[in-house]
Amino acid sequence: MATHTFDVVVIGTGPGGYVSAIRCAQLGLKVATVEDDRPGGVCLNWGCIPTKALLRNAEVVNLLGHAADFGIKLGGFEVSYPEAVQRSRRVADRMAKGVEFLFRKNKITLFPGRGTLKARNVVEVTGAGGTESLEARAVILGTGSEPKSLPGVTIDEKVVISSNGAVRNERHPESIAVIGAGAVGVEFADVFASYGAQVTILEALPRVVPVEDEEISKELARTFTRRGITIKTGVKVVSVKPGGAGVVVDLGGEKLEVERVLMAVGRGAKVAGVGLEAQGVQIERGFVKVSPTMETSVKGIYAIGDMAGPPLLAHKAMAEGVVAAEAIAGKSPRPVDYGNVPSCTYCRPQIASIGLTEARAREGGRDVAVGRFPFTASGKAVALGETEGFVKVVADKPTGEILGVHIIGPEATEMIHEFAVGRTLEATLEEIIHTIHAHPTLSEAALEATLAALGQAIHI
Amino acid sequence: MAVTKVVMPKLSDAMETGKIIKWLKKEGDRINGGDILAEVETDKADVEMEAFGAGVLRKILVPAGEAAPIGALIGVIAEPGDDIAALVASAPAGGAGAGSAAQKTPLRAEPAPAPPAGAASAAQQARPASSATSPAPASAAPRPAVIVSAPAVAPAGLGQGNQAGRVKASPLAKKIAAQTGVDLRLIQGSGPGGRIIRRDVEAAGSGARVGAAAAMPAVAPVAVFGVEFEDVPLTQVRAAIARRMPLSKGPIPHFYVSSEVAMDRAWELRDQLNALEGRPKISLNDFVIRASALALLKHPGVNASLQGDAIRIHHRAHIGVAVALDDGLITPVLRDCHAKPLAQIAVEARDLAERARHRKLRAQELSGATFSISNLGMFDVAEFSAIINPPEGAILAVGSVRRMPVVDDTGLGVGRRMMLTVSCDHRVMDGAMGARFLQDVKRLLEEPLRLLV
Repeated sequence: MATHTFDVVVIGTGPGGYVSAIRCAQLGLKVATVEDDRPGGVCLNWGCIPTKALLRNAEVVNLLGHAADFGIKLGGFEVSYPEAVQRSRRVADRMAKGVEFLFRKNKITLFPGRGTLKARNVVEVTGAGGTESLEARAVILGTGSEPKSLPGVTIDEKVVISSNGAVRNERHPESIAVIGAGAVGVEFADVFASYGAQVTILEALPRVVPVEDEEISKELARTFTRRGITIKTGVKVVSVKPGGAGVVVDLGGEKLEVERVLMAVGRGAKVAGVGLEAQGVQIERGFVKVSPTMETSVKGIYAIGDMAGPPLLAHKAMAEGVVAAEAIAGKSPRPVDYGNVPSCTYCRPQIASIGLTEARAREGGRDVAVGRFPFTASGKAVALGETEGFVKVVADKPTGEILGVHIIGPEATEMIHEFAVGRTLEATLEEIIHTIHAHPTLSEAALEATLAALGQAIHI
Repeated sequence: MAVTKVVMPKLSDAMETGKIIKWLKKEGDRINGGDILAEVETDKADVEMEAFGAGVLRKILVPAGEAAPIGALIGVIAEPGDDIAALVASAPAGGAGAGSAAQKTPLRAEPAPAPPAGAASAAQQARPASSATSPAPASAAPRPAVIVSAPAVAPAGLGQGNQAGRVKASPLAKKIAAQTGVDLRLIQGSGPGGRIIRRDVEAAGSGARVGAAAAMPAVAPVAVFGVEFEDVPLTQVRAAIARRMPLSKGPIPHFYVSSEVAMDRAWELRDQLNALEGRPKISLNDFVIRASALALLKHPGVNASLQGDAIRIHHRAHIGVAVALDDGLITPVLRDCHAKPLAQIAVEARDLAERARHRKLRAQELSGATFSISNLGMFDVAEFSAIINPPEGAILAVGSVRRMPVVDDTGLGVGRRMMLTVSCDHRVMDGAMGARFLQDVKRLLEEPLRLLV
């Protein structure tokens, strides 16, 4: 068994791991990465990126469906779901190759195989080519997460699928029940519905996208319902059993017969099989416990990304990866600001948010100012023919502090960063309103919502 | 063909440099003699600068916001055809150096402690910075520029005027500071580049609470945090005080004479006078001014100053009345107090104090005092002694009027008493002279009807 020595070994090359590895290399450290799938992790291969490709297809299908609105007469058109999936695979492949390129560029050694901690500073890699031992000053763990299921329901990736199966499966279902109305659930609901499936969303909580602001949930439910998606909130799934056209979902009284079920009830950290217990790495509520510099309870072992706790978002993992790398390199990085992580959902209309919801902001009796601006009043949105949704700004009335921003509508996920930057710089409503926003843009809606919070909106 | 050099005028006794606040005329404007060219901030006040020649303001050499020593060339008035190139070229860049007109107003021999022009302009910049985006009125007040430093921070920028101007703080931090009364200048920022961010202000705000908790009998060590020190650049006024006071207390041998004055009658008279309809409000300090003026006439030896090998005895009582400002004090001069009735003194003193606080005094109101009065009565000060403001020979320090037990012929009673302390230049006068003067002031105040006749 060959032994290699590095400064840092990174287990897992998802967005947390590969960013961390590159940052380490930039800081002059000798870096090895260990990956038992393709570089890029779930994000590039099975998550963020391929689903965005599928959602783009869904968007194009929808747009073609509305060609007549633009005075374009199509003599009908055909869509091919298998080709949509194939396109998404090509997109994912290209991005994964990009990570491999970045590793070469930064002289990062990739060890394909499964990495396990053998000692505080030793990682054993078991791959197709045998076993290798890597010794390092520091180890960064970024093993990620995997889809969870409901008790008693097995994900077979045939009739009961997870997001993993959903991005791979080229067969488009006639009908599907999506269990869980979080980001993954509503994104796939959008894709399937756009390709003509009968989609039923089942959510145990009283509303869709339950972590978002209540008004956002309401708006999404309204537009989804209008597009023919059935939404059942506050329902409890009693069982999921084979039968009928494929699966029978028992909602305790009502039974739902569908061809397929997408299990989108959340993801759990992958903390088993890495050797954490043997090294004494502390786990708390299913996630690895870390310090502000991402170090675990064991000196020299760092954990980042989904396994290190919520929110389970690629960009949060990347930020943590940078912090871990800089801490290892002896710098004193600024810890991740978990209160300022944007959250994006790419269904149509898109949803993006940052900070507190209005309800959370009002908890504790804070004096809150709220400003809203609908895209129906935005010239750019009307010109685009994308007038669903609004921008909602939640601020602290006495100081003008921007407590939270909630956007639903066209390109919401691109618009949120104005507020992310603003919040990082501790800008208040006034700095936003004194920033000239180009006309005509969707971002003007951000300006107007901010003005509205001060009672000064011009265009509404 | 008349080329007029515009030089930084000497607008007060102590003035060494002046800062152009703004030019009221611009290059190309036709100027008549006596026109107001610019507003100048001196060590004492903001004053208007007149033109002494006619022509066209051809060139401004010291822009608004910059300072120049007295005598320095700051502009040129000439006819359009006149060649001023050589004159302009002779002026040092930025106008901060001594001008070519130095012979007109002899510069002092000692090294001028004039701040570099950059320091003045940095201080100027500090003001818009604090009010640029914030509508909160509390935070818009001009503040002196400040450098904050803590031991953990390399003191690279300390004392460098160009870094002194801005307090780097996030907009939110500024607002919270304004609302919670936290002074941003006293906070060490933890954001990028030392920027003060919200948590710094909140930590500073809770510092008071931490301190209170520490007062309880706890064993835990007190967390001491916050800045170790700060360097606040001297304002013009402060710089003048700092420069001039050692010239007083050092070389001038002070002696002090104190006396307690029964103010019951003056108090009563003041109330009676103020109850008269249509009369100006009169303060006890006006009584003190009037009493001092009358006593000075009677004791000209106190109304005197040392002039080299002579003692100059003044026969008119021009009394400087110290007015506290936020950043120092200023002593506008109330002329011919001996000849003015109490009501007029009251009106003029109030007007001078008011304008002093707004820096609206004229140059001639700032010089020529023969004696000064400093009253700290409003601060509940029992007594104190003041430092002589040269070239004056004495200064009267006035404490507050306090109700206290007094013994008179009938026994123990309650009376109003006030402490007066006169500081005298021993080179000019002796103890007995000061005592006699004070005795007269006391008598006038204790028999205040004398002040009305």
